[in-house]
Amino acid sequence: MNLSRLVPASGKVRAGLIIAIFFVLMAVFGPMLTSYSPQASGTDLLQPPSGAHWLGTTQTGQDVFAQFVYGARVSLGVGLFAGIISQIVSVLVGVIGGYFRGLSDDLLYILTAVFLVVPGMPLLIVLTGYLPSRGMISVAFVIAITSWAGSARVLRAQTMSLRRREFVEAARATGESRTRIVFSEIMPNALPLIASGFLFSVIGAVLAEAGLSFLGLGSLTTTSWGSMLYFAQSAQAFLYGAWWWFVPPGLAIAVLGAGLALINFGIDEYSNPRLRTGKSRGRAVRTGGPQAAALSTAGAAAVASGVDSPGLASIPSEDGVNEVAGPEPSGSAAAAAQIRPIDVPGAPIIEVRNLKVDYPSIDQVVHAVDDVSITLHRGELLGLAGESGSGKSTLTNAITRLLRNPAQVTGGSITYHRAARARPGASSGADPGAAEAIDLLGLSSEELRGYRWDEIAIVFQSAMNALNAVTSVGAQFDDVLRVHRPTMPAREREALARTMLEKVGIDSDRVSAYPHELSGGMKQRVAIAIALVLEPDVIIMDEPTTALDLLIQREVLDQVMALRDEYGFAIIFTTHDLSLLLEVSDSIAVMQRGRLVEYGPALEVYAEPRHPYTQALLASLADMGALV
Amino acid sequence: MKYLLRKVMLYVFIAWAALTMNFLIPRLMPGDPVALLVERLSGRIDPAAMDAIAESYGLTDAPLHVQYWDYLTSLAAGDLGLSIGFFPVPVSEIVLGALPWTIGLVGITTVISFLIGTGLGVVLAWRRGSWTDHLLPALTFLNAVPYFWMALILVLILSVNLGWFPVSHAYEPGLVPGWDWEFISSVLYHGILPAITIILASFAGWVLSMRNMTVTVLGEDYVTMAEAKGLPKRMVLVNYAARNAILPSVTGFALSLGAVVGGSMLTEVIFNYPGVGYTLFEAVQNQDFPLMQGLFLIISLAVIAANLVADVVYVFLDPRTRQEG
Amino acid sequence: MSTDVMDPHEPEQGRVVLEARNLVKDFRTNKRAGVFGREYFRAVDDVSLELRAGQVTALVGQSGSGKSTVGRLLAQLMPLTSGELLLNGDPVSATRGRAFIRYTGTVQMTLQDPFSSLNPLHRVSYTLGRALRIHGGPMSADEVEEWSLALLRKVELAPAERYLHRFPHELSGGERQRISFARALAAEPKVLLADEPVSMLDVTIRKGMLDLLDQLRRTEELAVLYITHDLGSARAYSAQTLVMYHGKVVERGSSEQVIDAPSHEYTRRLLAAAPNPRRRLAG
Repeated sequence: MNLSRLVPASGKVRAGLIIAIFFVLMAVFGPMLTSYSPQASGTDLLQPPSGAHWLGTTQTGQDVFAQFVYGARVSLGVGLFAGIISQIVSVLVGVIGGYFRGLSDDLLYILTAVFLVVPGMPLLIVLTGYLPSRGMISVAFVIAITSWAGSARVLRAQTMSLRRREFVEAARATGESRTRIVFSEIMPNALPLIASGFLFSVIGAVLAEAGLSFLGLGSLTTTSWGSMLYFAQSAQAFLYGAWWWFVPPGLAIAVLGAGLALINFGIDEYSNPRLRTGKSRGRAVRTGGPQAAALSTAGAAAVASGVDSPGLASIPSEDGVNEVAGPEPSGSAAAAAQIRPIDVPGAPIIEVRNLKVDYPSIDQVVHAVDDVSITLHRGELLGLAGESGSGKSTLTNAITRLLRNPAQVTGGSITYHRAARARPGASSGADPGAAEAIDLLGLSSEELRGYRWDEIAIVFQSAMNALNAVTSVGAQFDDVLRVHRPTMPAREREALARTMLEKVGIDSDRVSAYPHELSGGMKQRVAIAIALVLEPDVIIMDEPTTALDLLIQREVLDQVMALRDEYGFAIIFTTHDLSLLLEVSDSIAVMQRGRLVEYGPALEVYAEPRHPYTQALLASLADMGALV
Repeated sequence: MKYLLRKVMLYVFIAWAALTMNFLIPRLMPGDPVALLVERLSGRIDPAAMDAIAESYGLTDAPLHVQYWDYLTSLAAGDLGLSIGFFPVPVSEIVLGALPWTIGLVGITTVISFLIGTGLGVVLAWRRGSWTDHLLPALTFLNAVPYFWMALILVLILSVNLGWFPVSHAYEPGLVPGWDWEFISSVLYHGILPAITIILASFAGWVLSMRNMTVTVLGEDYVTMAEAKGLPKRMVLVNYAARNAILPSVTGFALSLGAVVGGSMLTEVIFNYPGVGYTLFEAVQNQDFPLMQGLFLIISLAVIAANLVADVVYVFLDPRTRQEG
Repeated sequence: MSTDVMDPHEPEQGRVVLEARNLVKDFRTNKRAGVFGREYFRAVDDVSLELRAGQVTALVGQSGSGKSTVGRLLAQLMPLTSGELLLNGDPVSATRGRAFIRYTGTVQMTLQDPFSSLNPLHRVSYTLGRALRIHGGPMSADEVEEWSLALLRKVELAPAERYLHRFPHELSGGERQRISFARALAAEPKVLLADEPVSMLDVTIRKGMLDLLDQLRRTEELAVLYITHDLGSARAYSAQTLVMYHGKVVERGSSEQVIDAPSHEYTRRLLAAAPNPRRRLAG
């Protein structure tokens, strides 16, 4: 941990810390600011705030400010004490249960469930109701007993997931003891959760103490924010409008609670980078052109998963441009791009010209796609090769307008040549036979919607994640058809979905199946069938077979080729597996560090690679025994 | 349905644990509270009540397991003992009288607050990066406001100062409960302020958790695919993002419900609302141990039942739990 | 085949360091059988193999074939259902406690995913230091640093000083995998079980990684188990190849023989399915 990481960058966390520190200081030093004793009655009864009594007086003439600052000590003290005890119990129960599993875990799990479901406040009331003498310590203790379960359950889940992480298994394989694995491998990674659990325990305990004292179940001889409210309530202060009596303690509880929750925001954002606030839309800003408002959903600034790179403002992991250059051979980026003319029968359908996409980060701008021009022709299979960080996904995302923040198109154009097809909703009046040139980057989000899937469909890398787990396969065909073919009756939509499933070799009855009922290969076929349902002219396949086994990859690939013969769509096929591309594609574009280094007919590239990087790639494939 | 069956078994166990806790707490509490109570009360109340207390708290010489068995058999018969504060009214009668008020008030407001909260959470997640992000600190503050304090402030402003709503009670004192319009309208009128209190104090929590979940889900491939399919924003948001993001909210229902129930109980106290919370408060003040126990039991069982309902809903929402085997 | 790689198919046979006899591993599934029983899934079914000093043995299979489970059984990370492990000819069973730590002094394992096999919160120096302290006994801080630097040099991370105080997220995938190797070498093992060491790496750096593995086997006289799904690299880098399918070894022999003249139908299908541009040139 270096020191600069400890200074919170987020304004929310700073505000939260200031609030928390303010209240702690008040609890420690506040009583020194007042000469009144919190319990001592005075002669000024129920007076509004004045110079003598900063926060006025109670019905019996006690000084509210004195009560408030002394009460802060008790309320915070109870909160901290209960928070610490409750968190210790949760860590023990959660981490031990989650790591060791087995019978002890089963028992701890049931115990947690009991304390989780049995409502805390009533239990608290009953327990304190039986307490013969109620000191603040015993109240804090009872609060801790009733509040550990939620945090324990979260920690257990986290420990179970950390336990499956490879670094834990690697530490075991190295010979680390189990205790050491729990304390120095797992616990540090669970620290954000423990910290957040602690904050919530403190908030919960402060609230619980206030609630109990308010009911007269706390220690009434001790002044706390809750007991202030109890006396205010029993004196019916609000009927007299004595706001100075009951507003400060309640407000303090709420502000303190909010402060701790704000700190927790920071912890959440640290462990889940997707939560960081910021612009959610990837922008397509082009010089001279109108700013296109991209329709974009999430757009996490950093998608780097959880604890992998905490606190780093990193670039989306697929394009891990921030990899440090290592001793690995990387080819020469300086060599000129080797571009050979492509001679395929179809007319151009997508033309990318001098496209530039940047990822601005704090201290530098990464050119994820740098001056790339490619042309996809009708019916062509264009293979896009490159390793992680080469910019190939950024390129296809630019074409599909799915770029995520902070990616920005800073130059170039993408033109789509839409064939004049008779289809409902398509723009009429186009010259039949002639293609209509559409500036993809200039489309408004509404225009873009009409063109998505109808013209360009996508098959994502992992169908496991690309299919919606909670709706049936049929529903995922159906929504596309409902939107893009509004006049098609329901019966026809279902029939079409069934037909498409059969086309990819899946029993049409599986239309009612849910994704989890299908194998990995079947899910990928379903994804392909969904992509085909509107008979698009272009399908972008982003590593469609990478997650599949060799034999299934072959089957899926054969299927894709057969469907291409049948429907005649063009494909942009992205993969890092050059040998696969060499086998299936008409033309190949090789990318390295955002640049196009070699582009030409597949067989020519294979037979005679001209760029040093392509040569290195092919050579290492040969060394690895892939091209024998 | 195995999933549900396992859950039901767990809840049955939890219910049993709650029963047992209820049995053990007065007997195992340090300082022997029951003996103290008997000492304090002796001579002040009906000797018959004394006997009842002594019996239900194990001041008999019967061994613990025999007492436990008696406890379970009388529970099975619906016998929760006699109230001390309202001697000799049976506890079960008081509990049954209080329950409808709480179920009506807390049940309805919890559902409304959940719906408002999750809906708003989805919207805030979708509009991430716009001005709506500035609502988050305010919501965080709202979420930390104690229920009873919120009630006090609302009473001060809306009842005392503006005179819009009654200060307390569930209906105009003096009205005879019945199914007539006068009574019902009075109940509704009196219920508005407590309901607003509970909703205001609880919805922010749902907003915050739903927003976080939705933001996380929005980064998933299936949402990107839905967008790439050219579906309208609404459809992407509702059918894909929210539909998945709501699952943890439903499983986390237990976590939040406890807080809502606790807070609502305090709200009842402020409004003198004759529900379970207010009655429990009275019981504690009167040291009416049998009533305390009976109320705790019924609240626990109600919360357990609510969790079971949440799990049934979950099974409908997530097809993966419906898998056989 | 590049020239700087020594031919792995040397005829001489090293001494058998680790031998597995009839390994079986059953996993409990969530399915119930009868009232109390559970259904079991046999992940590894009667697998026997020998690892010889200075020799790479490849274990090839698709995901779910049980190949990684075999690796974990050999590393004693999980107990056997039945079967026997012999280390230097002596039966061993040490899945926990001191015996396990002693076992890891001889048998080390590296895992597939370089991005998750290092704890993101620990510097390289901690990771290597722990491994050194576990197996090297008490050492001063200076000694640990000296040894750590030596390990980094061994896995060709230069300048070693530059890497010692880095966090995993500051390293590339290839570098992280080298750190994993260095950690394994800290124990000065005789057997290295490498579970898919290159499958998560970019193509251009895979060769370097496998060359390193090959070099280590020679200089450290390591018996290496190379677990992979890739028949091509198995042929290029290992002397012996075993092909696994559904928990069973379906084919075994010298790598050339298995890959150039497969006798089992499954191996043939795998080879046919591998992408190969030659196929296109041929017609």
